[in-house]
Amino acid sequence: MIRFPTTIEAAAASEGRLRAGGTDELDLRHRRITSGPVVDLRDLAGLDRIETIEAGGLRIGAMVPLAVLATDQRIRGGWPGLAGAAGGLATPQIRARATLGGSLLQQVRCWYYRSVHFDCLKKGGGACFARGGDHVFHSALDTGPCIAAHPSTMACALWAFDAGIEIGGDLEALRTIPELLGDGSDPRETHALQPGEVLTAIHLPAPTAGDRSAYFRTIHRARAEWPLVESTVRVHTDEAGVMTGLALAVGGVANRPLRYDDAARALIGLRPDDPKVDAVFAALGKPTEELPGSAYKARLIPPTLRETLDLALAAPPAEPLIETAPEGEEAP
Amino acid sequence: MSRISRRGFLGGALAGIASAHLSEAHGADEGSEGSGGSGGSGGSGGNEAAPPPAGGIEGAAQVRLSFSCNGADHVQEIGADDVALQVIRRGVGLTGAKLGCGAGTCGACTVLVDGEPHVTCLLPATALEGRQVTTIEGLSDSAEPADLHPIQRAFLAADALQCGYCTPGFVVEAVAFYDRWRAEHGSEEPDRDTIAAALAGHLCRCGAYQAIYAAVAAACRGDHDSAEVTYARIDGPEKVTGAAKYTVDVALEGMLEAKILRSPIAHGILHGLDDSAAAAMEGVIAIHRLVPNGHRVRFAGQEIAAVAAIDEATAIAALAAITLDLEELPAVITVEEARSPSAPVLYPDRRARREVLSASEGPLLSASWEGNVRGPFSSSILAKPRRGRKDLENAAINGTVSSGTWETQVLCHSALEPHAAVARFTGGALEVWASTQSCHDLAEDLVHRFGLERDQVVVRCPYVGGAFGAKVGLQMETLVAVELARLAGAPVRVALSREEELTTGGLRPGQIIELAVGMSVNGSLMGVSHQAINDSGVAVGNVTGMLTRLLYDSGAKDLDDFDVVTNTPPGKPFRGPGGPPAYLALEGAIDQLAHDAGEDPIALRRRWDPNVPRNAIYDWIEGLEVYQDRGEVGADKGRYRRGVGLAAGGWFHFWDPGAQLELEAGPSGFVARTASQDMGNGTRSMIAAAVAGRLGIAPAEIQVELGDSRAIYGPMSAGSRTTSSLAPAAEDAADQLIEAMVELAASRGIAGEAAPGGVRRSDGTVVPWLEVLDGAAPLRTSGRRRRDSQAAVLPVPIAHVKIGRTWPGVVNLSEIEIDTRLGRVTVREAWVGVGVGRIVCPPVARSQMEGATVQGISYALYEDRRLDGGTGHLLTHSLDDYRIAGIGDVPPIHVHFAEVGFEHVRGGAVGIGEIGIVAVPASIANAVFHATGWRPHRLPLTPSAMLEGLS
Repeated sequence: MIRFPTTIEAAAASEGRLRAGGTDELDLRHRRITSGPVVDLRDLAGLDRIETIEAGGLRIGAMVPLAVLATDQRIRGGWPGLAGAAGGLATPQIRARATLGGSLLQQVRCWYYRSVHFDCLKKGGGACFARGGDHVFHSALDTGPCIAAHPSTMACALWAFDAGIEIGGDLEALRTIPELLGDGSDPRETHALQPGEVLTAIHLPAPTAGDRSAYFRTIHRARAEWPLVESTVRVHTDEAGVMTGLALAVGGVANRPLRYDDAARALIGLRPDDPKVDAVFAALGKPTEELPGSAYKARLIPPTLRETLDLALAAPPAEPLIETAPEGEEAP
Repeated sequence: MSRISRRGFLGGALAGIASAHLSEAHGADEGSEGSGGSGGSGGSGGNEAAPPPAGGIEGAAQVRLSFSCNGADHVQEIGADDVALQVIRRGVGLTGAKLGCGAGTCGACTVLVDGEPHVTCLLPATALEGRQVTTIEGLSDSAEPADLHPIQRAFLAADALQCGYCTPGFVVEAVAFYDRWRAEHGSEEPDRDTIAAALAGHLCRCGAYQAIYAAVAAACRGDHDSAEVTYARIDGPEKVTGAAKYTVDVALEGMLEAKILRSPIAHGILHGLDDSAAAAMEGVIAIHRLVPNGHRVRFAGQEIAAVAAIDEATAIAALAAITLDLEELPAVITVEEARSPSAPVLYPDRRARREVLSASEGPLLSASWEGNVRGPFSSSILAKPRRGRKDLENAAINGTVSSGTWETQVLCHSALEPHAAVARFTGGALEVWASTQSCHDLAEDLVHRFGLERDQVVVRCPYVGGAFGAKVGLQMETLVAVELARLAGAPVRVALSREEELTTGGLRPGQIIELAVGMSVNGSLMGVSHQAINDSGVAVGNVTGMLTRLLYDSGAKDLDDFDVVTNTPPGKPFRGPGGPPAYLALEGAIDQLAHDAGEDPIALRRRWDPNVPRNAIYDWIEGLEVYQDRGEVGADKGRYRRGVGLAAGGWFHFWDPGAQLELEAGPSGFVARTASQDMGNGTRSMIAAAVAGRLGIAPAEIQVELGDSRAIYGPMSAGSRTTSSLAPAAEDAADQLIEAMVELAASRGIAGEAAPGGVRRSDGTVVPWLEVLDGAAPLRTSGRRRRDSQAAVLPVPIAHVKIGRTWPGVVNLSEIEIDTRLGRVTVREAWVGVGVGRIVCPPVARSQMEGATVQGISYALYEDRRLDGGTGHLLTHSLDDYRIAGIGDVPPIHVHFAEVGFEHVRGGAVGIGEIGIVAVPASIANAVFHATGWRPHRLPLTPSAMLEGLS
């Protein structure tokens, strides 16, 4: 059974699995993890646009392909860390098809979850097989019953920019990334959207003049690999090069993306080459004894953050958007 | 043990991706490929589904899809889960785009949608609505050079392809990149990183990346703007245009699809199988049992039964309806468990041991068993093993001993074309299409297995999408296809899913090798001991000690191999079987000896190494700046540390003395024919080069017909025997033909002698061969592989093979960089010198070496088959998790041929297939030592391993 809703309301009212780009959903269906009717969002108009919103922010439709996000001049200028994240994940062909919304709501890559042979917690089963088994690509930090690393690079990056999540076209009641994803305590959930809720856009607050940002993923091969650790760093420095504001988001190491706000505060007032910076990062790299197979990923958190910070500092500062009037039509 | 009843699992969950949901809307006959194209272009006819209702809330089981493909409009009925690849392959009937991984990783299914590359295995068919699709077939009007896209010409010119299975995807992606690049940059050459970024969504298992870089760069420079191109790979045009038909592309009238039911447990006894519900399902035509009641299943994923149905979806549904009565037994998953005294013994008696599978390329030799350990199999016959041990004891007292324990992981062959077979009986005659590296032997196997006459069986494999050792002889998919075709009375196709391929398609055994090398005070080799434990799952017979024996034959050696059996899938021979682990250990130990003695690693090896080609290669390496300037061990202290590592390796000189090749010459040209095959290694091109070289004409003028078992006997493509067998046979046939053509010329009044290109008259003019042949009856000669001037090791062939007394040699040099912060090892540049005698067809030989280097890098750094320790189920069940090298991981590779040392060999050429990979991992591990002073003893060198090793 397949439906092609043309409005958000119709999509929300349709019973079945929402399908945007389909790159994850088709894999899940081929593996018989998901089934039932398909709600194909192909004919849903208006969600594939990037629009400027008041005060120099952007509203990015949920159906915008990641390749567009990666190359959009406004995003590259104002939120380079976000463009870097969109351009750094998966492969060119996947980025051409996968959407922003789908990338936020995709399922975990756990090899137990994606195997027909294991009825794991996320599928409603009784055990996490990775926990006592092979979790070399899983969480390094024990943040919930399911230890699959949260798969969304975009969620992690958007958190660093304090993005707001628009549900059902409601421009006012935006949710935060933690609200979108939930706290990870329910292993069956990879996000906290309720049935009938449709993610329609994300809202990016305007960058402050001088904001710098970057995205970096630590992987084994050169390209096209799920991250061992990834991070997006937003940093602001004064004329003397002292850091005056930071956001540190890290993914690939826990069942939700992480934001290290205490560490970010501890860095304020330091110059980037101050040894205290690495000491602050080093404190974030403590593996948990419960997950020995992925302990190395915890050890990779500090150098990954360092790499990302250095990249951010080397990047040109954000170019805030000049026009502030909404472009094109309001959201449907 | 309690009895349990549980359902067998589907033959690879990814099977669904290829399933013919198309059929749900059509009649039974219409679902399968080639059945008249009912799902095809414009054929919706009276079968139209209602268009989507207004508002889109009311659903439909099927929807109508309109799109254009290569300029033609198509309308198809599709279901919710259909993917664009099915619509293109089955509906439109274009098979250039290939199913590789089914998970968007390998890119073999890439096509252009409105000019943009998309992976169609994960593209909902619905997304094609109103779009323009361009497949590989749509890039050119023909395979003529003038009609090709510059990228296609560039791929030909650079030999940027081997088996050709991934090629359509690469070409389509490269075309999109090229068009964009040229529009923005004119004839500026893109750098490697730009090319790697553009092609990051593609995997080439043969490892043609180096030439792919070169091809894309050359095309962007404008080198292929003109319509001409010269190339050595004579089947290249078919491969760059998507015209090459692989077994998975075969579509026969009324063909059924088969799927395999696999064991859901690692160890147990099958007490019963109830297939009544499955048999009663509509569309299920035949079911074949593979494990009888009362027999054991010995690994998770073992084949238990197979179902043929009108389409794949029905076959998969039928598998789910079969119930198994399995008594679960304790399973042994790891080698460690298997060696524990309390482990259950998997093959307790002689009867059980008869079931054991062979992981060996040659015949399985007998050995004794103790518990789950079989062996030792000694490779030290006539190598003075006892003296070897004694020498080592003496060296420990009065000299130096370098020793250690090295561990290597299990690898998956994972050719991009999965194991696949199509079988059809017509009367008593059996036709089989198979993705095989031994069409002749497979035909013989089928004759014996099914009690047929030799002339009743034909095996065809015109194109094979990679094999690497996993597709020799009668494999399960062919057995199943034939059994079911016989039962069903209809053609049957079996094609493994990627998950099945990674489970049982082919595994390189893992090893634990304890090795010691002694050096006397005067620097001579003083004893080698090599004790290997081989992890080939339920199989036995992998040998590594023989490879250690091949090097440095001046010392006494004690070489033993043990098999440890587990309840895991069977190992198979994989390119250079036993070589990479053996040389990781041996060359690591020797590297250490040289370091400890403060000696140049080449100087030390030269003293012990009588191998003529390797010594010539040492000369070449000593002349390389990178070697001369390599510096001290651990010289870099910062974050990035550079290292240069060297390792030597060897392989055998095998040939098939029965190999023959038939040449036919007529006015329309020359045809060479033998019952061998080209699995991407370039056999076709090598034969063309050999024949053309003798006739003095261009290789492109020779048509080479391979992949048909009815042809004159040709060798299997394994053990590096094709060039050594077929080049001499081809040249023999060519020499006879020349003689016959000169005679023919004389009879037609053209007196003269043979010259390059034709008959030279006394006045010096040359009458071309085709003119000589004009109007005459075709000439036919058949060439044999005649004897070498040096005697073989044994006077009679074993399993079709004779073994020469002189070994080919290889030396690899790798320059690496380690990012000590992130634990990453990157190979910056690689050099390989190889001595396999005369190079018959240099471009494809170069590609063989480059591809082997890539596979060796992938082995050393990335690949790691992982099983769940509790259940034995495969965890690395996709190419996302089973990680093979991509284009960005491949450095510039320099190949040097040392064409010396085989003057006694007929034709002067020995095989090149295996030797390229055997010493690559060792050279990388030695480079890690050079960079850091830490010697890795375990592969792969992941960030996890590197961070631990360097801490």
